[in-house]
Amino acid sequence: MDLQLSLAILVGKTIGLINKLTGSGATAAPGLYALKIDPNLIKKLSGKIEFGNVVISGTNGKTTTTRLTSHILPAKYKIIHNRQGSNLLRGIASTLIKNTSIGGKINGNLGLWEVDEATLPQALENLNPNKIVLLNLFRDQLDRYGEIDSVRKKWQTSLSKLQRGATLILNADDPGIAYLAKDFKGKTVCFGVEDKKLDLPQTANVADIHNCLNCGSKLVYSTVLSSHMGHYSCTNCGLKRPNVQVGASHLKFNPDFSTSFDLSINNYQLQTTHFPLPGLYNAYNVLAASALCDNLQTDHTRINQRLTDFQSAFGRFQTIEVGTNKKVTIFLIKNPTGANEVLRILSLKSNLSVLVALNDNFADGTDVSWIWDTDWEILTPKIKHLAVCGTRCWDMATRLKYADFKLSKNNVYEDINYSLQNSVESLSENETLIILPTYTAMLEIQKSLNKIGGVKWHEQ
Amino acid sequence: MARTVSSKQTANSKQLNLRICHLYPELMDTYGDKGNIIAIQKRCEWRGIKTTVTPISIGDSLSTSHFDFDLFFFGGGQDKAQEVVGKDLQTKAKVLKQAIENNAVLLSICGGYQLLQNYFKTLDSVEIKGIGLFDAHTQGSTQRMIGNLLIEALVNYSTESSKLVGFENHSGKTFLSSKLQPLGSVVKGFGNNGEDQTEGAVYKNAFGCYLHGSLLPKNPQFADYLISKALERKYGTIKLEPLDDFIEWQAHKAAINKIRS
Repeated sequence: MDLQLSLAILVGKTIGLINKLTGSGATAAPGLYALKIDPNLIKKLSGKIEFGNVVISGTNGKTTTTRLTSHILPAKYKIIHNRQGSNLLRGIASTLIKNTSIGGKINGNLGLWEVDEATLPQALENLNPNKIVLLNLFRDQLDRYGEIDSVRKKWQTSLSKLQRGATLILNADDPGIAYLAKDFKGKTVCFGVEDKKLDLPQTANVADIHNCLNCGSKLVYSTVLSSHMGHYSCTNCGLKRPNVQVGASHLKFNPDFSTSFDLSINNYQLQTTHFPLPGLYNAYNVLAASALCDNLQTDHTRINQRLTDFQSAFGRFQTIEVGTNKKVTIFLIKNPTGANEVLRILSLKSNLSVLVALNDNFADGTDVSWIWDTDWEILTPKIKHLAVCGTRCWDMATRLKYADFKLSKNNVYEDINYSLQNSVESLSENETLIILPTYTAMLEIQKSLNKIGGVKWHEQ
Repeated sequence: MARTVSSKQTANSKQLNLRICHLYPELMDTYGDKGNIIAIQKRCEWRGIKTTVTPISIGDSLSTSHFDFDLFFFGGGQDKAQEVVGKDLQTKAKVLKQAIENNAVLLSICGGYQLLQNYFKTLDSVEIKGIGLFDAHTQGSTQRMIGNLLIEALVNYSTESSKLVGFENHSGKTFLSSKLQPLGSVVKGFGNNGEDQTEGAVYKNAFGCYLHGSLLPKNPQFADYLISKALERKYGTIKLEPLDDFIEWQAHKAAINKIRS
């Protein structure tokens, strides 16, 4: 019997129990302290999981892809999943402890882990996963993560150390992700969007990759889908977007914020897939989850069916009734590429009432420069009512002023709660308020909406 | 005599035109520095001043005809981009330096600022050659200097505020020669090197600094200073029509309060 591990589990469980009794939301605390007692806790516990571990990482879409996967997978999988979004090692440890008995028996047969970009190398080492899904890599919170080139290099090194039996599931359209197949010893599966043109307005491009990862020459694109994602080839060494095993074509973005496309898996064309999530970024999440589920032997009909009735995580596009006949829809924004994709979808509509909530706390990124890389201009003609709030509301107001929004100072308040109530009050009947918050602003909005009342949240 | 520029006057006077050159826009664009271009364009547009923005990048020639650029902008980028840009910049060094000698205005930030110095020495002692517009050099360090940055400008650009505020994110430490004037002194943050309290550099109408944020939108006095200096070359002394900058000043003050809290 492993005394160190038993003690770590016991301490973790005790802290978890205290948290529960005191109503604390510190979900990472049990893992944090347990790892101090047994640093190999994740290795030891995750190693016992029957069908092994799956890791999902990338700048945008981790939470949605992980949730889609858990929603689609058949009942034979008893999933252990860091659902609360605590995606650092301590969060993984907390989840494992919660699903382990004092005697060390694991309750579950598949580990499904959403992992922070900076934590991925350690997570790979500790979890030794047999499936790894990598979604994309964009500039995001440069104050926290540093440059994306250096993040990618670390990923590459740690991927090259993985066992031969593992499968890597990659986004073919992101040249920086597709390139990660290079030093990987196991099998690679690629997913991507096959359309040459999208039925969405273009945004000013904020590509992070211009040159071939292999030889440094210029990359040319026959199709740019978003940022540096698209159909590319190198002018010098012949590197090009790999063929995809899981592909989407005929993408259609519907006015009710749902999306449909023709999904093909391993040359097998499924019926048209329809899912209640907006935008190109969610199409990629659906592709990634479909590729993963197919790889975990999920029936194709089940994949198609389960996609239609998916409900997204809090803030990642969610509509809530407030009061009588008024609604709010929340789209989390946190970096230029993600925000641009949200704006592209919103710009298909008109007469919008919008509340932007910009915070600069640690979890948001303390640098708000990214709002200048975001193409607010495409939204200008579509807005009827606009308000701005959050710790850096005046930076946001300035950005919007320079995008030609007419903004009165009566629509700019630091206080999110106050601003939200104002915006909801000014809605007409049957109108929807679009809220665009950064991460910690989103948490405040959740609290405020609870206060306004009548709002029931889905179990996170 | 100073001329006041307003949109109303443009009907009977020749329309003023500001020619902007954006250096390596797709490679040196990592930290929202594009906002500086937007700020200059909008603040001109609101006064009826016409602007054109010409991107100049790898392989493009910056020929002598480009002497008529009034204002150059050079933003920050990732290390890898900086290497590629550094090489290409050598081919444009002569023309660019001559434009500055002829009083063209230039604003460079972070990576752009570093490449305009004598050299950049990385942590493993590799020397990336600059073009020596600023008599200064940068030394790579293990310290990442990240956070909001507040400086007291050495020149007062307006009565509204003598400060400039932004966000810095760099690991290179810049040291100015004794003759080179800094842009300001650090009130809070690291600035050039975190050691001597200086931030940025000024040579003629060329400015370099570590202030992202974007810098010009929430430091409108500095934006207007650059615009009027750039117009002055062609049109003589210019007094820009004042704009309602209430929102910009609120952003300026909010950022200062954030730093001081």
